Amino acid sequence: MGKHEIRLRRQRMSARGSDRFRNYNAVLKQHSDEKRIKQITRIFTFFLLIALIIVIFMVITRWEENQNVKPKSKINTTVLCVT
Amino acid sequence: MTEDEIRKEEQIIERSKKDPQAFGELYEKYFDRIYNYILRQTDDEELAGDLCSQTFVNALNNISRYELRGFPFSSWLYKIAGNEVNKHYRKNKGTKIFSIEELKVRELIEQNTDDWDEELINQLIRFMNELPTEMIQVLELRFFEDKDFKEIAFILDMTESGAKMRTYRALDKLRTNFNLKVKYNG
Repeated sequence: MGKHEIRLRRQRMSARGSDRFRNYNAVLKQHSDEKRIKQITRIFTFFLLIALIIVIFMVITRWEENQNVKPKSKINTTVLCVT
Repeated sequence: MTEDEIRKEEQIIERSKKDPQAFGELYEKYFDRIYNYILRQTDDEELAGDLCSQTFVNALNNISRYELRGFPFSSWLYKIAGNEVNKHYRKNKGTKIFSIEELKVRELIEQNTDDWDEELINQLIRFMNELPTEMIQVLELRFFEDKDFKEIAFILDMTESGAKMRTYRALDKLRTNFNLKVKYNG
């Protein structure tokens, strides 16, 4: 059950009443604007996704490098201690 | 609509998928109907104009996804228009308005006496205010837009039997409460 209000219109609706809102060029312009915004958003999202993948790749590579470097330095210190 | 008209409309839709200018023909054909449908649900000419334009923009934006499902193209426009109106009311948290024409009500209802009592009309309005909104939506499409139940079901996203049930219940209530004859043979 919803909430509504019934109003009585004394005059019949005419085709003339809608004429001042009839403008197909405005509809076409809005359509092309929305299409352009959609395309820009799509391209932006694509590049953002690529950038994100690159950042994740770099972080993983650096983490792997750090993991490989750490054990080496430990060996060096041991060697130093012995001498 | 005749078979020829349907075929012609299909051709325009196919052309519109490639060239938005072609959609202009459908815009001119259905603008008044969609505008009046929205105006009946808003009672505000400026707002109806805005929502009507948005309806056609949405239709044009999604025309590539339009598929024929055995309904006239106008049903799809009515569906988009209804969604736009609902979106407006949800956003503004307002009470949904149904602005009905007095002349149309008089055409639909046969009274025993010729003279129309103002009080009777007011009672009818009060009664319709008490009906569920979903019932009014179905009645509006059935009696003011002359849509069949199959089309109503598609526009309002419900089953055909659901649309029929709501209409008959509303008519029964009208008959019992007002002792009126509703011109209806559907």
